Amino acid sequence: MSEATIFLNVERPGTLTEDWSSVLVGLLVFVLALLGLAGVDLLGWAATTSVWVDPTQALGPVSKTYSYLGGASALVATFLALLTTLSLAVWATGGDLKRFVLAFTVVFAIAYASWFVGSYAHFAAVTPADLSKFGISWSLKLTNEGGFIFALLAGLIIANFFPRFAEWLREAIRPELYIKIAIVILGGFIAATAAGKLNLASSVLLRGVAAIIEAYLIYWAVVYFVARKYFGFTREWAAPLASGISICGVAASISTGGAIRARPQVAVLVSSLVVIFAVVEVLILPFLAQTFLSHEPLVAAAWLGLAVKTDGAAVAAGGITESLLLAQAASEGVKYEPGWILATTTTVKVFIDVFIGVWSFVLAYIWTNHINAEETNKAKLGEIWERFPKFILGFILTFSIVLALALGGGLTQKLAPAIAEANTFRVIFFILTFFSIGVLSNFRKLWEEGLARLAAVYVVSLFGFVIWVGLAISWVFFAGVKPPLAG
Amino acid sequence: MSEPSIKDEAKLRFSEPLLAIEKKLIIWSLSVGVVSLVLLAALSRYIPS
Repeated sequence: MSEATIFLNVERPGTLTEDWSSVLVGLLVFVLALLGLAGVDLLGWAATTSVWVDPTQALGPVSKTYSYLGGASALVATFLALLTTLSLAVWATGGDLKRFVLAFTVVFAIAYASWFVGSYAHFAAVTPADLSKFGISWSLKLTNEGGFIFALLAGLIIANFFPRFAEWLREAIRPELYIKIAIVILGGFIAATAAGKLNLASSVLLRGVAAIIEAYLIYWAVVYFVARKYFGFTREWAAPLASGISICGVAASISTGGAIRARPQVAVLVSSLVVIFAVVEVLILPFLAQTFLSHEPLVAAAWLGLAVKTDGAAVAAGGITESLLLAQAASEGVKYEPGWILATTTTVKVFIDVFIGVWSFVLAYIWTNHINAEETNKAKLGEIWERFPKFILGFILTFSIVLALALGGGLTQKLAPAIAEANTFRVIFFILTFFSIGVLSNFRKLWEEGLARLAAVYVVSLFGFVIWVGLAISWVFFAGVKPPLAG
Repeated sequence: MSEPSIKDEAKLRFSEPLLAIEKKLIIWSLSVGVVSLVLLAALSRYIPS
């Protein structure tokens, strides 16, 4: 397989894995934001983008404390802070520091520019009040999270029309790192959202258990059977493919590949396919959800968590869907509290992620004891921890701390601005993820390499039943469960 | 280690019939999954939302 096809950053020998470095960066942002509780505003300079018609009014620091900085300086400060922190993280994982610094500068510029363009009022304004406020008569109503789509499209254009440029960007194309950092930060945001409505939050958590059963026990078995029986794939290909389509894309196919002792390239090839299909899903499903599920927002949220593979695409698609559904509800006079749709998608996805290690162990046990009984490298219990996605620990930690502060410390009001500052970085990491996923998606090259048959299994499985069974189960468990009303 | 290619490995199609243990994995997985979902769906009626 050509390296130009997909740039999965297989970790090189370093002192830290990408998983752990994402936990550290996410926690750094989280701790700096929490210092706001003590009256120390350390992140208020972070740049945020508002919906605009006058470009000079688009950018600004997230906190009024730093309003003297202005938009341009806030953006430069944000870039320098991210460049420094991520450079350290990449260096610690054994990456090429010089190439990362150069590539990240360009990646950040294009990704942030996409958010900026996506926030143009003709793209982003939603309600009649917004149109009137900006003095415009029409809008695509993408919300200012439509910037995610612009970032994805920018990445796709580079991957498919400027492959040498995509290759040059390679060191900074790290969607897994960016989304894992975002998910660690998201833990605090979700806890702050959940603290106000604990009953609803517990209900979402309990209903999320259904997602695990569906992904592992139902999806996996069916996809594996289809791949083996009807497409004739060998076990080495069918198992990582089943995990990629049914569980959680890249991480699951790599983990399964390791568990059944497949050649590493099998999982990488399957992963590249997963990323391509995740792009297709992100471009279609949020808009389908807006069209058909606007009155069942949490059904839509759970559905995306189940149907969109890869953490990055699923969680970010949840973000887009939240914006679209909240905007649609607002235009009908219903104002939902923000955060619940994204929280539900993330909960479903994180629940699924938690069991990757356990499922890999089950497969490793069956493969090394029954299928390849001559295998000397037998499955060990330690593999469960080894394959456990460590960024989940960061998510659990930020979630628990904020929940404890909100419930035990009665700090709900003070937490809001601190979490909002951390959330600004979460959105930037989402944008970086979307752009990176786009750059990974060289459709033509993948086709040239003969992935048609793998793609056929994916199409049959994804559009034949993964999406529909996911929708049915989301409906059974989440229909009638609504986000609380704002105010 | 050889570089796998779907094209090259197409000739291996249907070269590995489903073993009894694979069938067992598929059937058990689906059965436990469906039964658990039915139980959870019934249980979810008692979860306040």
